[in-house]
Amino acid sequence: MSKARFIKDVKVSERHGAGEWTAERLSALILVPLTLWALWGAAQVAGEGYEGATAWLVQPVNAALVAALWLVSLWHMNMGMKVVVDDYIHRPASRLTLLGLSSLFCLVLAAAGVFFIARVALGSEPMPAGFGV
Amino acid sequence: MSNTAQSGGDARDDQTGRFVRQPNGRVRPLSPHLQVWRWHVTMLGSILNRMTGIALYFGLAIVALWLLALAFGQDSYDLFSRFSGSPLGLLIWIGLTFSLMYHLAGGVRHLIWDGGAMLSPKDATSLTWLSIGFGVVGTVAFWAWLFASGKVQL
Repeated sequence: MSKARFIKDVKVSERHGAGEWTAERLSALILVPLTLWALWGAAQVAGEGYEGATAWLVQPVNAALVAALWLVSLWHMNMGMKVVVDDYIHRPASRLTLLGLSSLFCLVLAAAGVFFIARVALGSEPMPAGFGV
Repeated sequence: MSNTAQSGGDARDDQTGRFVRQPNGRVRPLSPHLQVWRWHVTMLGSILNRMTGIALYFGLAIVALWLLALAFGQDSYDLFSRFSGSPLGLLIWIGLTFSLMYHLAGGVRHLIWDGGAMLSPKDATSLTWLSIGFGVVGTVAFWAWLFASGKVQL
């Protein structure tokens, strides 16, 4: 291990802990205004049915903010679940498997969510149109 | 590297009968767990923050279903709305609303502490009560408004 470095008498992480710490705080900070906006948006969409929900999501600002909220949330929650798994699961094989599954879950949700948002926001025909059906 | 137990002096020092063998093979005193600590609201705040975070993790899958239903058109969206509006669906949504509101306040609380402010026991306690209050009052207000405006009916 390399020689320990200190900044203002605080030991600098020898591996990657500091980057994770910053990423957790940064994503949390971004999510504060986005979450408040999402609550406001949810109240507008609730009970408005298919027409109301599409009319809301077809607006570019709403679609862009939902996509941003979606991706930053998944980034944040993947890191959060990593902390939980690191805390409670000690067998390396189980821990790595769970971390992999969690990241896969988040990646699938990210891809699927952005795809659905784009479909609705671009005014595409309801699925499965365009898939040869 | 051998992983033999190093149960030397530590185990012989055990005057509590609570020493355990750690996963690395060493015998160490069992650290005090939840039931040993005197309860304090900052504990509740921290535990709630983790629990609501885990709830939101899985709650996002339900939001993904909402997006999916929206992309698949009227029929699938009606099906999703029927489930959302059922008593069980409403219970899940109200639970997720509380999780979101509390996790938001708990996160801000955490950011304040990370900035080095309000770390005295007295301030930490009031900040925690404030975030729990925000979660409860925010959730009640949100749903009271949804029901009062007729957007959601039982």
